[in-house]
Amino acid sequence: MANFFEVKNVTFSSSSEHMLINVSFYIEKPGDIISILGPSGVGKTTILRAISGLEKIHEGEIRLNGRKISSKNFFVEPEKRQIALSFQDNSLFPHLNVKENLILGEKRKSKIKTKIKLNDCINLFQLESLLNKFPHEISAGEAQRASLVRSLLSNPSLLLLDEPFSNVDIGLKEKLQVNLKNLLRENKISTIIVTHNYEEAFYFGGKCCLFSNKKLIQFDNPYNIYHFPESEEVAKFFNKGIFLNAKVVSSNELMHDVLGIIKGKFINKFKKGDTVKLLIQPEDLVHSDKSNLRFKIIDRRFLGTNFIYFLKISNHETLPVLVHSHHVHQHTINEYFGIKTPIVIKHLVCF
Amino acid sequence: MLNKYKPFSFLDRSVYIFSFIISFLILVPILGMILGNFGIEYKYFEFFSQNEFSGYTKNSLLIFFSVLLITFIIGTFSAYLVSFYEFPFVDFFKYSLLLSFAIPPYIFAYTLSGFFENYGTFYSILNYFFNEELTNNILPNIEPLFGSIISLSLTLFGYIFILTRSSFINQSRNLIEVGKNLGFTNFDIFFKIILPSARPAIVVGLSLVGMETLADFGTVSFFGISTFTTGIYNSWFIFDDLKTANFLSFLLLFFIFSLFTLESLSRKNLRFHNSLNSFRKKNEKITLKGTKKIMAFLFCFMIFFISFIFPLFQMIFWSFSFSNSINFQEVITLNLNSMKLIMLASTIIIFLSFFVNFGTRVLKSNFLTFFSNLSIAGYAIPGIVISVAIISFFSSLDNLLNLNVKSYFVGSLAGLIFGYVIRFYSISFNTIKTIYLKINKTIDDSALLLGFNKLKILKKIHLPLLKSNFIFAFILIAVEIIKELPITLILRPFNYETFSTKAFNMASNDLIEAASVPSLFIILWSSLLIILSIKFFLIDKK
Repeated sequence: MANFFEVKNVTFSSSSEHMLINVSFYIEKPGDIISILGPSGVGKTTILRAISGLEKIHEGEIRLNGRKISSKNFFVEPEKRQIALSFQDNSLFPHLNVKENLILGEKRKSKIKTKIKLNDCINLFQLESLLNKFPHEISAGEAQRASLVRSLLSNPSLLLLDEPFSNVDIGLKEKLQVNLKNLLRENKISTIIVTHNYEEAFYFGGKCCLFSNKKLIQFDNPYNIYHFPESEEVAKFFNKGIFLNAKVVSSNELMHDVLGIIKGKFINKFKKGDTVKLLIQPEDLVHSDKSNLRFKIIDRRFLGTNFIYFLKISNHETLPVLVHSHHVHQHTINEYFGIKTPIVIKHLVCF
Repeated sequence: MLNKYKPFSFLDRSVYIFSFIISFLILVPILGMILGNFGIEYKYFEFFSQNEFSGYTKNSLLIFFSVLLITFIIGTFSAYLVSFYEFPFVDFFKYSLLLSFAIPPYIFAYTLSGFFENYGTFYSILNYFFNEELTNNILPNIEPLFGSIISLSLTLFGYIFILTRSSFINQSRNLIEVGKNLGFTNFDIFFKIILPSARPAIVVGLSLVGMETLADFGTVSFFGISTFTTGIYNSWFIFDDLKTANFLSFLLLFFIFSLFTLESLSRKNLRFHNSLNSFRKKNEKITLKGTKKIMAFLFCFMIFFISFIFPLFQMIFWSFSFSNSINFQEVITLNLNSMKLIMLASTIIIFLSFFVNFGTRVLKSNFLTFFSNLSIAGYAIPGIVISVAIISFFSSLDNLLNLNVKSYFVGSLAGLIFGYVIRFYSISFNTIKTIYLKINKTIDDSALLLGFNKLKILKKIHLPLLKSNFIFAFILIAVEIIKELPITLILRPFNYETFSTKAFNMASNDLIEAASVPSLFIILWSSLLIILSIKFFLIDKK
């Protein structure tokens, strides 16, 4: 069966320097959500603009609901696509107050009928006190919320969200994320959300597109992207672990000069004797006060629920280890810190 | 590989074609005039350069540079005083000095000449105190060149004043504080920090003054000075020699555009403004005391008095003294004629410039943007050149296609309006463009994605946001049309008089006093419009 939405071999470009080459991804069925993740400036917004019809494409094609909407020689006008885009910047009409802006969304003629009601959205996104204000009288975060609601109310076939919470206060952000996700799920609104925050991408997206260096480097579900990265580039994107050189000694074992034998299941195939780069994430290692494998702590980072201890294992290698912050005691810098042996890592991510 | 625009829908194509046609029509007479000079014979140029050419050039340049120098001094210094110092009536002066825009240079010239002539107003005043011999000795003789330079300077300094004041207001206080911290005196701060930072504004102001000076016809013609503009007028009007008029127009245009190029090259790669708005603090004014306070007040008062009160009161005085020359029926006709021209021309200009602005914005076509930017060059082109270009263009068109289009556009309202459109299109275009640039483009994108087509965006989004600026554009165009002389004089229908043509004809026939009533109406209408624009659009936000 054909996918509900599909981007096939498309090259997106906003300028000659900013382009994404030969990109393919899809939304399998209506109501699914995918997220687009990548560093700033990689061209995530350009993708949304091209999907919505605000930019044209020169290669490949974009299909929605079985219909071609963009290709080199074919183009459906943005106003006829039934695609809503919630912009990162304030895009409210300056001569209308917030309520009038929201009503414009509601008035859009749409083939899709959802149960989304203006008043519900106003409550869910806490817009009550802003209704009579004009765009210049509200903050960037408030404008972003209003713009998001206006897009939701237009009953789109496909909803595009460009960093929808980038200006929203941290305290409110999580609550709004939950409200939005529930609303999208209940009303089966197919959505593509762009973000540079991988936690947000993983929360919303059933699947994620990860972009880097002018190309799509992985399109998969969040778990696989995080635990089964297809390239070193994907693994490095999350920037939490380190790569250690190790030697393959058997079908499920590696040998590291300092850490010794490391057991686990390889995600890629290697021959015995191969030298590989092994990804070690902070949660891969387990702390043990009784272990004989001990290293000096050179730094530590408190993350609220956890500590990450940075251990010096050689002159040029530092190992991050995650420990629950309710661990019986805390360790200080320059103290020696034990790691449970033998080291067992569920997935051995090697390249 | 950039996203090049390709029109797809019928609506897009229509907007594109219509926008292109508007820009093209505005440009075509000027292009025709320029192209028409390419086939000129060298002998003609040689003959010409040995005769009138040197006189035209000498006078035009002398007036040009003198006016630039005087307007620079008056405009910059008055802007500096009202921006940085507190003294009596400073808030009044910062707006009232703009009223100099209400006086066309040729009316100032009538005033100056009539005031100082034998048995004129100044003579009467002196004669009241002194005997006739002494009065004749004291009475200054206004030389034509000097009179032209003074008339132009005191009516055009407003361009430098308004732009420089705006630049001074936006100057970073940090810069001035750094200057003080480095031990600079107020004199050093002005010459080493304030003035260089305001250079772009001053240069733009000087360019506008330069353009207006070169474009002036009424003043130099009244004083009988041979310049390019009088040369063009005489070639066409007296000798019926369109070829020479065309050639002189071409030279004048070449000179103006050379200056523009020189100016833009001189500031290439230079950045002046502090782009960090967060660092911008409101300048606290220094309160002047004692002699300095009086000197600052007197300077601004003198400029205000000479540039506005003097011509206004002289015209009022003459209007009442020679009230028997007033024909009320004629005054009503002149008012109606001027109003008709203003309403027609402004409506057309605003509609066309809005449509082209809209087209370039929503279609995102580089070609259309380039072309529309070219079409605003009209403001740099003297009215007299535009008139000659229109006549030449329609003459060529008639010859080429064996038609009789010229009669519909020369000596007709249609031709006159066409001339105004070419000349004043840029005023409206830039006013609308400035506001358009402030409207985030995502507003348009949002509207498209909410299902609006482009015409609905125009109606529901752009029109409500721009409507107050249409009024501002209307006021600016109206002030220009009321004062405009050469286009009206050349392209108007037979016997169709406006305030400016009536005043010019009277003054040209040495009936300066009889020119006072139309001149007074020009001043009163322009002042009213300028006061309205100050009150609703230009007043500083608290």
